[in-house]
Amino acid sequence: MNKTSKRVLSTVMTGLLAVSLAACGSTNNGNKESKGAAADPSSPAAETSVASPTSKDKVTITFQNIYPDPTDPKYKMLRKVVSQYEAEHTNVKVELDSLNTDQQKLKFKTQAASKEMPDITIVNPAAQMQPFVDADLFAPLNEMVEQNGLKGTFTEGILDYYTFNGNLYALPDGNNIALIYYNKSLFEKAGAKVPTTFEEMIDAVKTLKAKGITPIAIGEKDSWTGSFLFMNVLLRTNGGPGFLKDVVDGKRTFEDPAFTQAVDAFQSLVQAGAFQEGATSFDYNAGENLFKTGKAAMYFMGSWATGGIETSDVSKDGNVGVFKFPTVGGKGDPNQFMLAPGSAFAVSKSSKHLAETLDFLNYFMVNYPKEMFEQKGAIGLAQTVEGDFKAAGYSDMAMEVMNMFKDVKGGDLAFDNTMNPGTAQVHLSSIQNLFVAKKDSAAVAKEHQKGYEENKQ
Amino acid sequence: MSPSTTAKVIKPAAHARRRGFSITKTIVFVIFGILLVTQLYPLLWLLIYSFKTNEEILSGSFFSLPAVWQWSNYTSAIESGNYWRYLSNSVLVTSVTMISVILLASLAAYAISRFRWKYGQLVLLAFLLGMMVPLQATLLPLMLIFKNLDILNTRLSLILPYIAFQTPIAVFILSGFMKTIPQEIEESGIMDGASVYRIFTSIVLPITVPPIVTVCILAFINIWNEYILAATFISSEKLKTLPFGVNSFVSQYSVNYGAIGAFLVLGALPVILIYFLLSEKITKGMVAGAVKG
Amino acid sequence: MKVLKVSGWTIAAFVLPCLLLYVCLVFLPIIVSVYNGMLQWNGIGTSKFIGLANFTKMFTDDPVFWPAVGRTFLLAGFSMLVQLPLALFVAILISRYVRRTSFLVSSYFLPVILSVAVIGQLWKTIYNPASMGGMINQILVKLGLDSWTHSWLTEPKIAIYAIIIVGLWQYLGYHILIQFTGIQNIPADIYEAAKIDGAEGFKADRYITLPLIVPIFKISVVLSFIGSLQSFDLIMVMTGGGPAHATDVIASVMYNMSFLSMKYGYGSAIASFLVVVCLLATVIINFLFNRLDKRFS
Repeated sequence: MNKTSKRVLSTVMTGLLAVSLAACGSTNNGNKESKGAAADPSSPAAETSVASPTSKDKVTITFQNIYPDPTDPKYKMLRKVVSQYEAEHTNVKVELDSLNTDQQKLKFKTQAASKEMPDITIVNPAAQMQPFVDADLFAPLNEMVEQNGLKGTFTEGILDYYTFNGNLYALPDGNNIALIYYNKSLFEKAGAKVPTTFEEMIDAVKTLKAKGITPIAIGEKDSWTGSFLFMNVLLRTNGGPGFLKDVVDGKRTFEDPAFTQAVDAFQSLVQAGAFQEGATSFDYNAGENLFKTGKAAMYFMGSWATGGIETSDVSKDGNVGVFKFPTVGGKGDPNQFMLAPGSAFAVSKSSKHLAETLDFLNYFMVNYPKEMFEQKGAIGLAQTVEGDFKAAGYSDMAMEVMNMFKDVKGGDLAFDNTMNPGTAQVHLSSIQNLFVAKKDSAAVAKEHQKGYEENKQ
Repeated sequence: MSPSTTAKVIKPAAHARRRGFSITKTIVFVIFGILLVTQLYPLLWLLIYSFKTNEEILSGSFFSLPAVWQWSNYTSAIESGNYWRYLSNSVLVTSVTMISVILLASLAAYAISRFRWKYGQLVLLAFLLGMMVPLQATLLPLMLIFKNLDILNTRLSLILPYIAFQTPIAVFILSGFMKTIPQEIEESGIMDGASVYRIFTSIVLPITVPPIVTVCILAFINIWNEYILAATFISSEKLKTLPFGVNSFVSQYSVNYGAIGAFLVLGALPVILIYFLLSEKITKGMVAGAVKG
Repeated sequence: MKVLKVSGWTIAAFVLPCLLLYVCLVFLPIIVSVYNGMLQWNGIGTSKFIGLANFTKMFTDDPVFWPAVGRTFLLAGFSMLVQLPLALFVAILISRYVRRTSFLVSSYFLPVILSVAVIGQLWKTIYNPASMGGMINQILVKLGLDSWTHSWLTEPKIAIYAIIIVGLWQYLGYHILIQFTGIQNIPADIYEAAKIDGAEGFKADRYITLPLIVPIFKISVVLSFIGSLQSFDLIMVMTGGGPAHATDVIASVMYNMSFLSMKYGYGSAIASFLVVVCLLATVIINFLFNRLDKRFS
């Protein structure tokens, strides 16, 4: 090829690129039906509606959520509230983008990085939310929650986990605590008694194990489950909440005795054969199912599991009871719990219909507790619920869980809600390792400390 | 390719069969049988699975029939899983992608393997670089590109990357094949005064059918179950594809396995049907192509 | 080889549509990834350019990275040394002994079409502990080989092999299909001619099928290598990379870093490594096969 043709070629290439890009763009613009105007802030339709924000303009709000499963009470609640709102506000359409949790996280991170956010999205509390808040992506909700007393419906202190520098950025869909569910008939069969201390719990594990019953079910493939349990042990050995905060504040390190004691206690549980064989290949659902099908005697989980357990076969005739995580080595207070403030709804700061979106979210959250109560999903909400649970058909076990909430005297958040993501990953893997190998607690502590220092910002 | 030449083709199998000893033959067919069982078993398993309750599925026993056949899994797959809408979207996206890949890749492969120009190898190398791109790593750059093109949440935002991701392997396979086409075949065309476009469409493309079939199959299996790009670029309910249906039964703290199984059966069914219906034709096409090669 | 002489315009018309799309949507993101690999960035907020620090850390100071690379190559090795020869063998047998081939080939291909989610679930029921009804362990117990039972997916030394077996099984039919296509593609008259020369049966395979299948076999090798590097879904479904990284491969480490540890820059560095390894491997495979090709012809 000679020089001229080379130049021609390069010109053509540039030209073609431009043309093809333009073609892509124009194809889309002609393709009206395929896209809601609100989904894309830069489309002409969206711009006009901002220029003239008369409420009669057709508005589409994109609501990214993690409730795609029709059997989930939240699925029904979500659709019901949305259609009510659309009926009352004929100019507003709410487009639901329902994804499963992992995919939503991936999508939202990608969207956040390219500043192409849905109007409403789902975030996790505290440390997990921090990077998004730092990037200034969310609209403050302070005024919106004051408008019609919405703020008052939330449990005291719960909104703090979503508040940064005095600005509230998200509204939680739940508020849960960790507890232990147990199968009464299996306990009876093995002659085990409900433990009030960690040492008794290990005895119960041994008794159950001797009778060929899996003592505790866990879904450790999703490594947060083991971490959640471990953190509860730490909450006890530390004599109260705040260990991780002390580490972050530089007052203590992971090599502190409270931490190594927790590792040792946790290992004694594992070594006693507390968990089912092959626990690290069981995902959350498979683990929980062992308990739900009566194959395991105990199950440590957040109170959100109540609904599922309540409707499973194992709960027949009030067979499932609950107890608080016991003291470890005489330390700690059973009324301090692992706290799990739920995933929460946040509004994009760059939303083209900010006013409408805030109005919708307000309406949604006001109706949320009432609808969840009707769907029998009102255990562990972040808002106070009006209604007679007993009359509505909630089980005795559910009532027991509800009452446990009244005893809560503070506690800790899960590890990944307190520490940055990098440290959290080191921690999760380190705890998962305890399920398959016996480790020296000092080595585990060192591993944590190294991971923390490397990831410190 | 006249019918008479096709008819003359003898499969390489034919010439040896007569002489095969019966013992060898028995062993061989036992091997085939074992393979058949291991490869078909998952389908049967999935079929049974799709009629079970969650508890039955998660209890993990290797072979057991459901106590009660849960037809409701199928109704929820079709209704809540939006089966028909997702299926038609998948069919549309996949077929547009496959046709485009074949067209674009065979053109490029032809130029790379048969034209005399300086940058042929360089272009091939560039394509090779793209054969292994971890999808997750391209999410963010693609998001930015599509945002600027204003095609997020349209079918184009799926079709374009699908085509682009399938072309490297297609170009690799097709150019490898085209290199082996004897030159006399093209020369006969040149003698007749045919243009290079004519040679491409009426001589080269027909004999490239076998590798094109391979490329089609490869592209298909990569696209049909693709979820990461789809979930990231598509938000509208009416544009979503089949993998969304599967994942719509997975929520934060529960999974509806039976419905997933039912949805997977429904998703795989059209594919398997088409594949078995066409497989005879596909094989024939390959053999026919071989005569000229 | 003599090739067609055509004008620059014609070349452009043939190559550009494909190349442009590819460059914009695949090549560009790769370049961006390489650049991102030089950032300290959580993927959302502000980023800092740190040159090659991510790469240095990755190569010298990451206890997870090299073992993951090793496992990835283990996967590729098993695929190339066990799966491909087996697939070729089966493909030859099919073309030799079976008259109506399409049913058999299609059936063998089926596991590829089923989604990885199903395959993973199925194999979990095979690998489960005996108490959970796992097939292998139950068989071992019935045979009185209790001491041979293992928790296949959770013992750190065994788990990766358990996963490799699934991968080998799932994609066997895929490679059988490719090899079979290749064998069908060998002109029948070559076999006829060989028969006259007295080469028949396995002798014919040795001197005709094997040399002539080389180009197709190369495709299989490249595909299996790429497949091994990309192996991610299966591992995520079966073990999630655990226990404690024991089944992590390059792709899963990259995913963890980019999206769970929120070290997007570091994850991009791993992605760039992956792309480069793949390019090198493809070039090496090409080179080796070209030499092999020359030796045969």
